[in-house]
Amino acid sequence: MINNLSREEVFRLLATSEKGLTEDEADKRLIEFGPNEIKEVRRAPLYKRFIAQFTHFLAILLWLAAGLCFLSEYIKPGEGLLSLGIAIVVVIFINAVFTFIQEYRTEKAVEALKKLLPFNVKVARAGEIREIRAENITPGDLIMLSEGDKVPADARVIESTGLTVNNAPLTGESESRPRSHETFNGEFLESPNIVFAGTHIISGSGRAVAFATGMATEFGKIAHLTGGVHERLSPLQKEIARVTKIVAVIALTTGLFFFTLGLFVGRSFWHNFIFAVGIIIANVPEGLLPTVTLSLAMGSQRMAKKKALIKNLTSVETLGSVTVICTDKTGTLTQNRMAVQKVWTLERQQSGGRGGVTPPLHLMTIAYLCNNATFDNDKYKGDPTEAAILKAARDAIGDIKAERIHQIPFDSERKKMSTVNDLEGRIFVFTKGALETVMPLCTQILSGDKVVAIHESSLPMTEDHKNSIMQAYHSMMDDGLRVIAFAYKPVGAIHELPLQLPDTDKIESNLIFAGLMGLEDPPRPEVPDAIMKCRDAGIKVIMITGDAGRTAVAIARQIGLVKNNPLVIEGHEINAMPDSVLREKLLSPEIIFARMTPVHKMRIVTVLEDEGERVAVTGDGVNDAPALKKANIGIAMGLSGTDVAKEAADMVLLDDNFASIVNAIEEGRSIFENIRKFITYIFAHLTPEAIPYILFSIFKIPLPLTVMQILAIDLGTETIPALALGIEPPETDIMKRPPRPRDSALIDRPLLFRSYIFLGLISTIGVLFVYFHVLFKGGWQWGMELSMEHPLTRQASTAVFLGIVILQIGNVFACRSSKDSIFKLGFFSNRLVIIGVAAEVMLSAFIIYHPFGNRIFGTAPLGLDVWLLLVPFSIALLLAEELRKWVSNKKV
Amino acid sequence: MSATAGTEGVMYKKILAAVNEHLNSVITARYALNLARACSAKLYLCFVAEKGMSGTDIEKAEDAMKRIFSEARDMDMQVESISTTGRPVQEIKKVVREEKIDLVFVSARRADVKRKFYRATTASELMLRLPCSVALTRVIHMGRVHPRKILIPLKARIDNVPERAYFTAKMAEGFSSKVFVFHTPKPITRFFHGEIDLTPMEWDKRTPADVRDFMGHINKYRIDFEGRLTPGRVARTITIEAASKRHDLIIMGATGRSLLSSLLRGNPVEKVLRETPCDLIILKPRHKDDK
Repeated sequence: MINNLSREEVFRLLATSEKGLTEDEADKRLIEFGPNEIKEVRRAPLYKRFIAQFTHFLAILLWLAAGLCFLSEYIKPGEGLLSLGIAIVVVIFINAVFTFIQEYRTEKAVEALKKLLPFNVKVARAGEIREIRAENITPGDLIMLSEGDKVPADARVIESTGLTVNNAPLTGESESRPRSHETFNGEFLESPNIVFAGTHIISGSGRAVAFATGMATEFGKIAHLTGGVHERLSPLQKEIARVTKIVAVIALTTGLFFFTLGLFVGRSFWHNFIFAVGIIIANVPEGLLPTVTLSLAMGSQRMAKKKALIKNLTSVETLGSVTVICTDKTGTLTQNRMAVQKVWTLERQQSGGRGGVTPPLHLMTIAYLCNNATFDNDKYKGDPTEAAILKAARDAIGDIKAERIHQIPFDSERKKMSTVNDLEGRIFVFTKGALETVMPLCTQILSGDKVVAIHESSLPMTEDHKNSIMQAYHSMMDDGLRVIAFAYKPVGAIHELPLQLPDTDKIESNLIFAGLMGLEDPPRPEVPDAIMKCRDAGIKVIMITGDAGRTAVAIARQIGLVKNNPLVIEGHEINAMPDSVLREKLLSPEIIFARMTPVHKMRIVTVLEDEGERVAVTGDGVNDAPALKKANIGIAMGLSGTDVAKEAADMVLLDDNFASIVNAIEEGRSIFENIRKFITYIFAHLTPEAIPYILFSIFKIPLPLTVMQILAIDLGTETIPALALGIEPPETDIMKRPPRPRDSALIDRPLLFRSYIFLGLISTIGVLFVYFHVLFKGGWQWGMELSMEHPLTRQASTAVFLGIVILQIGNVFACRSSKDSIFKLGFFSNRLVIIGVAAEVMLSAFIIYHPFGNRIFGTAPLGLDVWLLLVPFSIALLLAEELRKWVSNKKV
Repeated sequence: MSATAGTEGVMYKKILAAVNEHLNSVITARYALNLARACSAKLYLCFVAEKGMSGTDIEKAEDAMKRIFSEARDMDMQVESISTTGRPVQEIKKVVREEKIDLVFVSARRADVKRKFYRATTASELMLRLPCSVALTRVIHMGRVHPRKILIPLKARIDNVPERAYFTAKMAEGFSSKVFVFHTPKPITRFFHGEIDLTPMEWDKRTPADVRDFMGHINKYRIDFEGRLTPGRVARTITIEAASKRHDLIIMGATGRSLLSSLLRGNPVEKVLRETPCDLIILKPRHKDDK
């Protein structure tokens, strides 16, 4: 790898030199390797995705029907087929628009990534420093790096002076890391002599040779994964596609069957054709997709009120099907408000911040001076851990004045930082960091506030001292504290210190161990309840944290995430673990991933999804974006998240709170239940629409319902009551049930039986009763043929239309719960149902009594007797459903 | 050449790398060099100066030849450099015939890749006309000098399994890399249910016979390897796998699809060639009818 090569070998490999490339060579390479830019992965453009909504199975069937209508109108005008054809096309458009709205989401994650690259950059070309557009950088270009720059390409550092970079866009680490030009034999991605595209130069300067540009960079890989991860259809989308196909096949088969039957009984072709189209339209629930879409939209609004912002509609329901949540710890399960909880020195152990005990002066001095947080305008600014340490130090010893001469910044590899300070004329090295990195550097230990040599000169600490420190360390971690170790040493004079890399490590030697601080990031108070809810709901919660295993376990215990001894997998272990082993480990009932980087997230998510789990994952960093895209539900943090993460996610948590995820899941589950409720409601009217049609075909009775009347029901009168069912509040036990199985269907046999047979047949009886009532009252007799335009035919079909509307009023109350009685729920507890019923009645009145409604829908005014006759049937339907619920609940 | 004589008999004795003034041809030649070393084969470096080529470009190409030549010599390898003038395809073909070359490494240029089905490009002509195996190399990353992880996407039906396995194994040996055999089956769909989800274990049971055969051959070379099936759209799934698992090199077989078939069904190899997140070698094994 290029990190192993010397400066000269790098030049040779990339055929460049100290002077950089010539303009001519750079141009040639630019042609060969392409511009240095992040590209969108090719995907179907928006218009194509919209057009696709007109070409699926059901749409094709409807197009065919419309086409036949137009053809029929052309061949035999005046049969009303033109309006029918137009109505079918309208149905296709309505369905297409609503499906598209469901599937639409803005794709700006890659756009947000692009913004992290610089516009201009300084390079050496033929020995001269030039500023060029970053997109013109090519492999072999010699890039000038200085403080504040964004790195334009992956490049090998060949010269450095105090160079530090912030790799947050790639690694998620907020701390800056030093870069050097020395060869490095370790991992390519961890190499300190490489700077990566999209990262920032925090301090110092240097020169680096570009070796990968554009999509070939590590940053480009994030774009590849973010833009290219194949998003599967959501469970709801799959179910709707399945239902649509089933309904289409039923409609087509029924239509064809009765068309053929009509031919056998001697009905004319046109008569049969109109009938076949009518039966198809009657079987297709035209209002289903608009209702589902509107219901999801309303659900997403309710979620927004609960601090969960949904970015694409079907995610609302997908949330309800989640079986695993992979969550970050800091800020999501905890408050991200660090506070020093315990302080440990050899001689004493005391609670931080509590009065009455003299604070350990040396320890607090180190904590104050070896610190990059600041206190301005009564506020602590900087990394939360640093700020908490500074606060503890200030509270204990007040402000100190000391000049900082030098700093070795924190980096996650070294897990420590050091400063060299001039304190009251004496030079000190102060070090703080993880115990495992600080303790080996110490040869002495602080006893009280006096320095006691453990052994003469620089012999290692005694085992007793080490054991005491380790005991304190483990005790703090078991309390869920993040533990920081402190050490220092006095130095004779500044010139004695080797301040240039890589010798700076020598500064951190022969230190005096000062003590430990235990910092607490308290759990969010709502989290234990939310975890309990997840447990009851059969949802597995997996913590993925950058913290140490013991700390993670302690926090997990505090919030009730683990009860026994959980399996803890650390970053280095997962690196060496094949997928098959990881798959087995993930079966453990309690599992915590500690010392993780965001790179591991995508792998965990992929393995879980491969195993059939429906995964929600949280993330905030740029490199969390691929995992957020890969998961069934990617959840970005609204407060601490980067724009890239927010763009890649399906849901943005406005308060970064785990409890809000659980609330959103509860909402998602209730939406699935509610969709089933209104599907039952909608499907129940298909039977009374279809059966009179069949009787019309077999017994040659007058036309009982026109296609326009069917559409008036499906897309008009039913819409608001169906929507009202979509906002039913969650049932009390919704989070006590396990997640619905992977193969469970939105529409199953019990639902079809209840809607088509049970409720549908009751409705049909009522509808046929008023149909024949109107016919016989008007003087019709069996065998008498009436034209479609005959006033009595219009009245009879209007009675059927009204019959379906009135019976659906009883049905909407019946469908509010599949288990609970309406008398328990209360008739007025869902106001939208009442509004929907009122709207339904008013719209029906308009269609029946207004001349405009009569003309469009082929209706005729009805007497009050028809209304009054229908009311008992509606009540009977509701009571029959009450009886079914009672019997069903009793069986359970 | 014995590359078609079964697993035991497969070997490359003479490998040629076409070098020119472009940096990617140098990187390609390094792949050839490492493979030649692993196969104990003789390496030929061939530069053909086209009519009208500038002096600077000729100088650059010759410099590159010298660099690779000396690197090969430092490794105690048998190496020969050939510089000539004329049309590259004809001249390389002549060398291949005269020297009985087994395998030629050619670098794909970005201009070639941008053309639909890379028709009428030097790369495609070399792949079609040379009477030997051809490894078309697309270089996009110059930091990973020695690929540690090599991704081998395979289709369900593979020809020349022994030679493909030999090439893969020797590349892995040359760079001490780990091999990841990868197959992307079409997702299983049912009319009513749509896409059917299977677990990795269930997918494993559906590993095609040719893929198993390939893994069997690889196993004989004692190369560290893993197998994996991921359903999806072929090109996209390969690209995502390479990017997410940070593979350093992809080795694919050349497409067997005709122009018409490519137009109708698309061409996954062409798509991967365009979108690859790491270096890519497309191997066209020598056909038994090649003369």
